[in-house]
Amino acid sequence: MNEINQNSTRAHKANEAFKTRMNRQAILSFGVCVHCGMCTESCHYYLATKDPKMAPAYKADRVRKLYKKYFDWTGKLLPKWVGGGELENEEDLKELMDITFGSCTMCRRCSFNCPMGVDKALLMRTGRSILYEQGIAPQGVIDVAKDQWETGNQMGVSEEEYLETIEWLNEELQMELDDPIAEIPMDKPNCNIVYAVNPREIKYAPQSLLAAAKIFYAAGESWTMSSKGWDNTNFGLFSGDNKLGAHMGNLVFDSVERLNGKMLVTSECGHGYRATAWESPNWTGRDLKFPIFNFLEIMVDYVKSGRIKLDPSLNPFKVTYHDPCNLGRSGGITEEPRYLLKQSVSMFQEMYPNRADNYCCTGGGGAMSMSEYSKRRLETAVVKANQLKETEANIVATACHNCVDGLTDLIKHYKLKMKVKLVGELVADALIIDKKFITPTFKAPEIEEKLILMVDDEVDILTYLSTLFNDNGFNTYTATNYENAMEFLTTQKPDLITLDLAMPGKNGLSIYKELKTNEEYKDIPVIFVTGVNPDNPGQLDHRKFIYEHSLPKPEGYIEKPVEKELLLKIVRKCVEVKVDNLN
Amino acid sequence: MDPHIISILKHEVHLIALFIMGTVYIGKIIWIMRFKPMVERTPSKGNKQKAIINSYLNIAMPWEMESTRKKWYVWTEFAIFHIGVAFAIIVSFIVSFGNESLIDKTIFQNFFMVLFPISFIITLIRLARRIFLPVNRIISHPDDYFSIILMCVWFFFASWFVYDLYNTLIMGIYLAITAFLIAYVPFSKMSHYILWPFSRYYFGKHFGHRGVYPKVRVQ
Repeated sequence: MNEINQNSTRAHKANEAFKTRMNRQAILSFGVCVHCGMCTESCHYYLATKDPKMAPAYKADRVRKLYKKYFDWTGKLLPKWVGGGELENEEDLKELMDITFGSCTMCRRCSFNCPMGVDKALLMRTGRSILYEQGIAPQGVIDVAKDQWETGNQMGVSEEEYLETIEWLNEELQMELDDPIAEIPMDKPNCNIVYAVNPREIKYAPQSLLAAAKIFYAAGESWTMSSKGWDNTNFGLFSGDNKLGAHMGNLVFDSVERLNGKMLVTSECGHGYRATAWESPNWTGRDLKFPIFNFLEIMVDYVKSGRIKLDPSLNPFKVTYHDPCNLGRSGGITEEPRYLLKQSVSMFQEMYPNRADNYCCTGGGGAMSMSEYSKRRLETAVVKANQLKETEANIVATACHNCVDGLTDLIKHYKLKMKVKLVGELVADALIIDKKFITPTFKAPEIEEKLILMVDDEVDILTYLSTLFNDNGFNTYTATNYENAMEFLTTQKPDLITLDLAMPGKNGLSIYKELKTNEEYKDIPVIFVTGVNPDNPGQLDHRKFIYEHSLPKPEGYIEKPVEKELLLKIVRKCVEVKVDNLN
Repeated sequence: MDPHIISILKHEVHLIALFIMGTVYIGKIIWIMRFKPMVERTPSKGNKQKAIINSYLNIAMPWEMESTRKKWYVWTEFAIFHIGVAFAIIVSFIVSFGNESLIDKTIFQNFFMVLFPISFIITLIRLARRIFLPVNRIISHPDDYFSIILMCVWFFFASWFVYDLYNTLIMGIYLAITAFLIAYVPFSKMSHYILWPFSRYYFGKHFGHRGVYPKVRVQ
């Protein structure tokens, strides 16, 4: 009985919360729909499944029923006549969560195909917000939002780890540019640019921050990063929590003001740019004294003004471009990446449809953090996969870290022969700098004695990794299963473990859990080096596993076939950061 | 039909219906304006005015959206249907308050004799689509069915009326349905045309502000 009461209480609270969410734009989008169904075929969820319940108008109606019940004049008297209704119980809440979080990436493609001008993403976000307020959301969204509240960034990166990573990146940068004074400036006041990044760049994709640093270096830019308020991402956008939106916005804006920067530049992150440049000023209610740009706009300016020079022959690939929804449909950035790609790659292939008509990468709206819906996400990604396939490109460039993850997942799933790169990375690869880059294959003295334990059931992979690590100055030990690995750990403590997830017997996730819950081993950095079974992507969903068992995130995640430069970068980062920690 | 009843339908009933519609519409506009609009605090990146105009003209540019580009026949139906609605209302006004003989002019009558039956057929197609297409069925509520059936019946009698201008029974039915329609519209989904100008305005303003709209299309 208590449970029923609690259930109905949550539903009641969600209904009440809805009544407080209306502004003029919202009531118009809720009220003007005529159920013509013209939006249906603009949605990749519908196109892939042909399920009528995936039609945008149907999904919007699950939220709209509250508007009809509480705001529509006829609906107040005759709710059923106009499709009005309330959230009555836990089942209703669950259904609404499945629709607003699990069946819509808020990409706005349907909004742009609606003759009435209904902004369905606004309706979905309203639905998300009333659920989130009751604590109802996919676990990943709740966890990431919690991280943003508590640590100021979505991956829970501590200030120490952040600064150490930047320090390590400085060394990489100096090495690559052969310039001992090249650096990523930290907390430098009065710079032209304060650069805010996606925490993924600190944690898993340092190559994109390194690329940006090279470009700033080549342009002779006066720039800095901030030790506080450096995360441009904002889960307030995805959870519907405007308070979190304002909190994250304030952190970044405060940094710019504290450092007296002339402008704020967000790195290549679609929702990060939208949230920081467009939504956060509204959520925070601040009238900013500085402009906000996306890194793409800055790069275009560098090229046009001759501050950087590019050689397209350095990228001898056929490259296509995927417009991130938050840039193409919500940020007004469509031509800049095209301009840059045409200057930095030897062959640019347009994707169709494109710009504001492009299909979502399927990872938008926070979908990459919702492991509950991974299977559906990949099923609906067939639309994007077909679109990519038609380009026959070797590389799909994009300007959003979320899209990188979404596209990488679907490329793996649909076995496409292409790689994903950020526009900035391609621009950095095409840079002409007087000082020649040095390929980072040297043996750094401080890492020579470091020991890596590699756990993988495939012997040829172990051989490959051993050779790679040994050639780069590491000592290695290989284990083909759980028993071997644990036996080794009783005798020696490695500096790093690379772990395959799909192994017979006790799989990698179980080993990971054992490591991270054991006082003796929990500090050893772990990198997942694993393949994905395209036929069963959810089989070893590490994100879900980690959330469910409240484990810390791994220090790195690399998919097979391994990209060796990236792996080496992440390995070096983990080992060096750990060394500093010990010091 | 009794000329007295026809006269009441033409004048008193029609005026009452118009009064109801006008009152509710004014009330609705006041109600809409009571909600605070979301205001952008950032400087505009695009041309808002151009975007708002484009947003309004979108209705007349079937090439603008993928949905209308691909389903050009639905857009064509939409265009004819709404022209039909406008003229069927105009005809009722002319009959009630204007010079009835105007409709009798061959050129107008011929035009209505083509437009209204086509509009009637389109309402049938729309009704069939709502009943038989799974997506349209699942998104339809009683109000959607009632509204399209009402339009269907209305066009049927409007068509009959313009074919047989001096049949008072048909005229009476046509005027009665028109009056009911006018009074019912503000309470139904058909009130979208009072919301549409606001909705398209804010759509254009929002996306124009952010430099997204009008869309760049280089296919």
